[in-house]
Amino acid sequence: MTYSTLRLCSGRAAYEAVPYPRLSLDLGRVRRQLELEGVPVTDARVMLIARFEREVTIARDGRLLIKSTDATEADRLFARVRRLVEANVVPTRDS
Amino acid sequence: MSGGIDSPVALHYLLRQGHEMLTVHMDNRPFTDDSPLTKVLDHLTVLRERYHQKIPMYVLPHGSTQITLMRNTDRHVGCVLCRRFMWRSAERVAEREGASFLATGESLGQVASQTLSNMRSATAAVDLPIVRPLIGFDKQEIEAVAKSIGTYEISTRPGLCCQAVPDRPATKSSLLQIGREEERIDVEEILDSVLRNAVVM
Repeated sequence: MTYSTLRLCSGRAAYEAVPYPRLSLDLGRVRRQLELEGVPVTDARVMLIARFEREVTIARDGRLLIKSTDATEADRLFARVRRLVEANVVPTRDS
Repeated sequence: MSGGIDSPVALHYLLRQGHEMLTVHMDNRPFTDDSPLTKVLDHLTVLRERYHQKIPMYVLPHGSTQITLMRNTDRHVGCVLCRRFMWRSAERVAEREGASFLATGESLGQVASQTLSNMRSATAAVDLPIVRPLIGFDKQEIEAVAKSIGTYEISTRPGLCCQAVPDRPATKSSLLQIGREEERIDVEEILDSVLRNAVVM
């Protein structure tokens, strides 16, 4: 699994990371792990919105959006969320 | 009012014609950030000053509606379902305030939700007449007006796009299909909750 570089999104108000190829995540497991770490989560079924010190959206296909314009902060949150994501990929026929 | 380029321009034309206007902003957090709301407030400051009108604004929560739609309905038609709730919410506000029409900054074909088919599906949810001052404008024309009235700089500040937009939103939709999707949710209960939590600014 490969994430492209963390980059400023088109609206210039957040950082985004897009995996290639797209993933299939078990968002239920990601949510439970976040909650165990004390991170409040909104579960919209097709995506989670995790409230770290900044909100991070985790889509079922692995796309991440970090609502910060501070590159250092975004990098730190990306590393934390990436670990969780990588641990919860659902194997597909292609993988 | 969305915080984008189009809605303040549409409002400008209606104010210029002498209509007394009130506005609605659908607060889409957590699927966006604070920027749309602050942009709309700044747009209104510009237009209130220009037209010496109070222009009240209803801020209506929309994030919880989006969550309900995502959990219970087909993502493919998510933008149409979302817009139907925006229209219905605006109509409820209009009824409360005695307004006689609804207005938007839509123009044909700019985004997925603005195809003629989707516009029809979305607006079939309401009865009040709908005015679209920008319907035949292209983006360059709208931007030129926005620059001339002083709202363009506000609209183009950094801000998050709606994250609830599906990967491949439907550009065509049928009322039959939309009706089936809405049977999975309690439309009236959602609208009651939205209006109960309205904030007027």
